Amino acid sequence: MKPHAEIAEVWPRDGRIRLVGRIHGCPAGGTWRLVLTRRAHPDQRLDYPARTDGDRFESEWPVADLAASDYAAVEEWDIHLSDGEKELRAGRQLDDVRGKKKIFVYPEQRIDGSDVSVRPYYTIKDNLSLECRTGGAA
Amino acid sequence: MTDRRPLPKVRYLLLHAYGRGGTIRTVMNQANSLVAAGWDVELVSAVRRRDDIQFPLDERVRVSTVVDLRDDAQAPPAGLVARWRDRRRSRLMEEPAQHIPAGEFGYRYFNRYIEDRLIAYLRTLTDGILVTTRPALNFLAAEHATSGVVRIAQEHMNHGTHKRDVQKRIRETYPTFAAVAVLTERDREEYEELLPGTRVVRIPNAVHSLDQAPADPRSKIAVAAGRLFPQKGFDMLIPAWAKLVETYPDWQLRIYGSGEKKAQLRALIEEHHLYNHVFLMGHTDRLDDELAKASFYVLSSRFEGLPMVMIEAMSHALPVVSFDCPTGPADVLTHGVDGLLVPPEDPDALADAMARLMADEKLRADMGTAAVLTAASYGPDAVHPRWESLFTELSGAGGPSGPSSPGGPGELPHEQRRPGGAAKGQHA
Repeated sequence: MKPHAEIAEVWPRDGRIRLVGRIHGCPAGGTWRLVLTRRAHPDQRLDYPARTDGDRFESEWPVADLAASDYAAVEEWDIHLSDGEKELRAGRQLDDVRGKKKIFVYPEQRIDGSDVSVRPYYTIKDNLSLECRTGGAA
Repeated sequence: MTDRRPLPKVRYLLLHAYGRGGTIRTVMNQANSLVAAGWDVELVSAVRRRDDIQFPLDERVRVSTVVDLRDDAQAPPAGLVARWRDRRRSRLMEEPAQHIPAGEFGYRYFNRYIEDRLIAYLRTLTDGILVTTRPALNFLAAEHATSGVVRIAQEHMNHGTHKRDVQKRIRETYPTFAAVAVLTERDREEYEELLPGTRVVRIPNAVHSLDQAPADPRSKIAVAAGRLFPQKGFDMLIPAWAKLVETYPDWQLRIYGSGEKKAQLRALIEEHHLYNHVFLMGHTDRLDDELAKASFYVLSSRFEGLPMVMIEAMSHALPVVSFDCPTGPADVLTHGVDGLLVPPEDPDALADAMARLMADEKLRADMGTAAVLTAASYGPDAVHPRWESLFTELSGAGGPSGPSSPGGPGELPHEQRRPGGAAKGQHA
């Protein structure tokens, strides 16, 4: 198993998204940040501090930060954990559940004052990403 | 074998032999055992909507269909008569059933055309044994399978669960059957009282196998399974879990099954912020493997006939937390021994009982061991010979115990009352 950020909990609540997980497959020391990368424009990145305790990490951000005026109908952001050198993909690789995309389903949150809704989701490779939909509900 | 008369042909009439329901699975298990024992078995599917049978079925079991509803089943009509027939078929397909009461839970699957075809089919039967598997089919068989076939009605539901019009038709028509087979002791008593003079036998459904991988009591997964439908009560189970999540944050509840209430249940999960703890797993072809990953099973149904997945879970050494709903849980479970029975439709009591098991690994292990023993009386080897005895006796064919079996009416030679039966179903 490649080093990655194994997600334990995803909390889309109260206009924020909070992630809890463990750093898996590499030393967890040092300072880590959570990095969101817009898939269609990889030069656009958002990053946030991550609190660590041993290999456990936790980070959160307001969904309003994901507002953008140039969105296509559906846009994705991919989630990584970074210590400045390594970039660990966030995902859920260590459990027994197959087909997470349809099983681990999270609530959608609308960005205030916009018609963009944000929902965390697992990709078909069990990585965690964000889906931003403009217009109708997902 | 040589001094016996030949075994009669056994036909099972099912609404949809190509479906995935519990009745279908159970009938196929029975059919497999019967053909292995030398019986000639045919499954007759009232309708057909799929190409393939969904459960393992011995190739010696014949399967036939009365009305094929697959899209490509109807050849385009050629000629005047064929076109007239086709129009008539289309018209009758649109007309509601006439002989089946609207309160039958499967009413919407029937129409005038299907009824007519079934009646025509039933009138052709002159020999052997016919087992009909739900009220609508029982009613049609009672009135139209009158040319010599020995009829047995399977009744999988508690009488009180049926709508009034169905109850009335049951009282009117079931006395014409050679036997009415029910799943639980409570049902046997109730139907016997309702149908004086009619032979009512209790034969539980069998699980498909007792040779199952045992679960690990250390696992922090609870499992439930069933169609996502109000009957299964998952709308009570999810709020019950919400009461436990703070105390037991490392536990998961996995609900297997698909169905029309999925969106509502998902909304309930979101409302209670349980999206990290309660999962709608969808349909699985490997339920055995999934049951074995859990450390207890939850049954939150409003009603049941005999909940077979619960018994399958027990064969994996899973203890059960269950509502004491009609019927089945109290027939199977002994409160405090192989599971915990709580008052029906009481989510708080369900939560308390789940918490008791979640807090106590040794209790899960002990009750799981007891659950395996309970499940053994629902194994194929315990149940299927009871059907053979009933068929042998009713058809007058020579069986191991001769044309008339010992035990007298209402009791099968293999009928076994479980020791301590009187204590069943008591909850604290």
